[in-house]
Amino acid sequence: MSPLKNLAALVATTVCLAPLALALDASPAHARGDDDVIRRGDCTGSATWKLKVKTDDGRLEVEGEIDSNRTGQRWAWTLRHNGSVSARGTGTTAGPSGSFDVERRVVDLAGTDHLRFRATHNGQVCVGVVNY
Amino acid sequence: MRWFTNPVVQFLAAGFVTLLVVVAATQWLSRDAADDEAIAEARALTGVLGRSVAEPAVPRGLVTGDAAAIDKLDRTVLDRLLVGDVERIKIWAADGTVLYSDRTELIGSVYPLDDDEREILERGGTDAELSDLSRPENRFERGLGGGGMLEVYTRIRSPEGQPLLFEAYFRSDQIADRRGEVLDRFLPISIGALLVLVLVTTPLILLLTRRVARGGRDRERLLRAAVQASDAERVRIARDLHDGVVQDLAGSSYSLSTLATRLGDEDEVAGELEEVSRSLRTSMRSLRSLLVEIYPPDLHVEGLAAALHDVTAPLTAAGVGVDVDVTGDAGCPDDAVALVWRVAQEAVRNVARHADARRMSVTVHREERVLVLEVVDDGRGFDPGTARGDGGFGLRGLRSLAADAGARLEVDSSTAAGQSGTTVRLEVPL
Repeated sequence: MSPLKNLAALVATTVCLAPLALALDASPAHARGDDDVIRRGDCTGSATWKLKVKTDDGRLEVEGEIDSNRTGQRWAWTLRHNGSVSARGTGTTAGPSGSFDVERRVVDLAGTDHLRFRATHNGQVCVGVVNY
Repeated sequence: MRWFTNPVVQFLAAGFVTLLVVVAATQWLSRDAADDEAIAEARALTGVLGRSVAEPAVPRGLVTGDAAAIDKLDRTVLDRLLVGDVERIKIWAADGTVLYSDRTELIGSVYPLDDDEREILERGGTDAELSDLSRPENRFERGLGGGGMLEVYTRIRSPEGQPLLFEAYFRSDQIADRRGEVLDRFLPISIGALLVLVLVTTPLILLLTRRVARGGRDRERLLRAAVQASDAERVRIARDLHDGVVQDLAGSSYSLSTLATRLGDEDEVAGELEEVSRSLRTSMRSLRSLLVEIYPPDLHVEGLAAALHDVTAPLTAAGVGVDVDVTGDAGCPDDAVALVWRVAQEAVRNVARHADARRMSVTVHREERVLVLEVVDDGRGFDPGTARGDGGFGLRGLRSLAADAGARLEVDSSTAAGQSGTTVRLEVPL
């Protein structure tokens, strides 16, 4: 991905998600390496989310993670790509950290790809967005 | 190059040439067959992939460029489409939009479809052509096939019912590999069959050649024996005639001449006796000429000049002015002298039978290492260009005789008034 596109993605992400972050009372943090973007934030409950996007052979590898510190919670999640549901499913938190993660590949389309990861559990809502 | 006249060598040489031709032909044919086979395979594979894999997997929304539909197609079927020799996949909308490709950079781009592709979209079926790698939609294929790409396309339908063009790309060097595989299969068969044939037939040819040569030698021996027996018989007949009839005629002629001289006072009877005596001498000359015809004289003993005088005797008796001049025959090989005599005999015979000549000359002389015979007459001649195909006047036989001995025979004849006549010239190298 070109540096220009990375910069545009960051700016767009910041602009687009600012209202949402306020609404969800979340404090998303983000970081990126040479070719990946990682964003983190709080859900409406006590859980946190992380969304990581990186390029891979013309595709975008999207990794969403929910950390609720409780094991055995069943979360329903949805991954939208440019507004359409690219993948959906459920995940159950496990392990000492009480988390689950989802990894999917989407096509790196021309222009900015808008990726939105949403997970819900008993009224808790987590939404992570990356414009890549 | 004497060895090349050997039939076995000729057969092996012909076999080798045939082998080269077969190898070349096999390569050429197998190349075409391999190309056809590879293209047919590519078409069949593309058809199956399009109908059985791509079409059922095309999700709703792909035709409108829905990102989720593209993701779904990419995740679910890409591994099943890039199989075998397929190097690239493209799915086109009718307006030239690339709806999907494993090279994701192309997705969403629009390139004009050519006539063949539009025809497939309209009528269905499958077509194949070499990719034009200079076109921008094929820029990612430039690095794939060093020898070019073969693109095969077929029509599929989206869930919405729209016709889409499913296109698969194959490397041309895969066709070359296929060509090699076909050649590897067929070439050993072709060469092996030919080698086996040569191996089997060479001993047979060798056997047959020896048998034919042996048969030839047998025939030659039998022919020689037959010729010798015939010669011996002709010698016997000629000797009997010469020692019997000719001598009797000579004696009778002599007796009649003697008797005619005694009848000095009876002129009429003496004249009749003298006439009978001349008739007997004429008959005797004719008989001697006949003896020469029956059996050639022993040229070595009697000499070529004497033999030619004998053979021209009938013309002399018929009132033709004959000149015989023989020089340079001494020391010549017997074969050369015999050939000169045979040609002279035939030429003189032609003059006697056809020329109606008043004069004839027979000349034999030597020109350095060539013995030359010339038989010239002033007869009516003939047109060599219209001579009968059977070699009228025995010319064909003479030419054959001369050619067999390595000699050269020329016949010059004219029917022009005042210049008519025929010249037969034989040159025998010594």
